[in-house]
Amino acid sequence: MSECIVITSGKGGVGKTTTTANLGVALARSGAKVAVVDADIGLRNLDVILGLENRIVYDLVHVIEGECRLKQALIRDKRAEGLYLLPAAQTRDKNAVTPAQMRELVRQMKEEFDFVLMDCPAGIEQGFKNAIAGADRAIIVTTPEVSAIRDADRIIGMVEAAELPEPELIINRVRPRMVASGDMMNKEDILEILAIPLLGLVPDHEDVIVTANRGMPAAFDDESIVGEAYRRIARRVKGEKDVPELVLDHDTSFWATLKRWMGLAPTREVAG
Amino acid sequence: MRELFKNIFGTKPKQSKDDAKQRLKFLLIHDQVDLTPGQLEQMKAEIMEVIARYVEIEGDHGTEFKLAREDGHVALVSSIPVRRVVERAAS
Ligand SMILES: Nc1ncnc2c1ncn2[C@@H]1O[C@H](COP(=O)(O)OP(=O)(O)OP(=O)(O)O)[C@@H](O)[C@H]1O
Ligand SMILES: [Mg+2]
Repeated sequence: MSECIVITSGKGGVGKTTTTANLGVALARSGAKVAVVDADIGLRNLDVILGLENRIVYDLVHVIEGECRLKQALIRDKRAEGLYLLPAAQTRDKNAVTPAQMRELVRQMKEEFDFVLMDCPAGIEQGFKNAIAGADRAIIVTTPEVSAIRDADRIIGMVEAAELPEPELIINRVRPRMVASGDMMNKEDILEILAIPLLGLVPDHEDVIVTANRGMPAAFDDESIVGEAYRRIARRVKGEKDVPELVLDHDTSFWATLKRWMGLAPTREVAG
Repeated sequence: MRELFKNIFGTKPKQSKDDAKQRLKFLLIHDQVDLTPGQLEQMKAEIMEVIARYVEIEGDHGTEFKLAREDGHVALVSSIPVRRVVERAAS
């Protein structure tokens, strides 16, 4: 059974591309055959995050316009068995393709792959409509901020209007210390508002920047907490139940320890 | 020093995440139900009018009428104190 999952958010810059790359890597490393598709036509990014930018010959628009076959445009990631990238066109715009063409492309890709992950552009216009056209399922990425959650709510409504099943949530850029001090909404706060199932939390972490510099997503690194967050999310995406929550950070500062010792601080850790 | 004190005893003033949550809830209700305050007032008046045909109500006094959000859905929540059922001719 293969499926196309669109990774979307509404608001820009919350981590859709980071999530698509890491989830793609984690799913492939767990044995699935995965294609990650950059649907952000004109603002190609996923190739860079994956470190595959030098290998692009053809792109998504070439495939849709029949200038090459799908197989010719797919770039195989040699670091993970079964991982492929279909890059976006950089010199075209979102109107170069239609939702019907995207549906047909996805149908064709699902014959080859277990998972087709669609990296959606920001916004709610044509690019979004193209990206969700062929999707069977949607993952909403948000950060714990008012503006991102507001846009996520809007997108959840649009996903439901498109008759996709209830979308699932990834909360990205969580800062455990701020959550602990009450200066960042926690997952319960966010779930109370958005009321969709949670796939997991990803910490705000320098690994994301370092791995982006290198073109080597954190999900390749068995030591990385960001990588571990995405590996657990990948297991939940595959339907595994009872994947243990990941403890994002345990405040080991002197005051935190003293407070815990005196029973003054909540002992609950930030996990997800 | 005050900060230190607060840290030791874990007593925090209002947390900023509560502001965030409060503002979000308000925002989302009004994103979803695109009514102006004037339209809301009018809706309230019309609903009260209909209810008054069946039961005697206290008027505006003690009446609560608001939009609330639960589980991702907006609900119109109201509490309207009723004095007694209006006498109606038996049908
Ligand atoms: N968990 C994280 N920790 C630290 N930095 C992060 C994290 N997630 C994303 N970022 C940073 O935020 C920026 C935006 O991330 P990304 O490109 O994945 O977002 P996007 O939603 O795809 O953006 P766009 O809407 O422009 O496509 C990047 O610079 C990335 O390094
Ligand atoms: Mg992106």
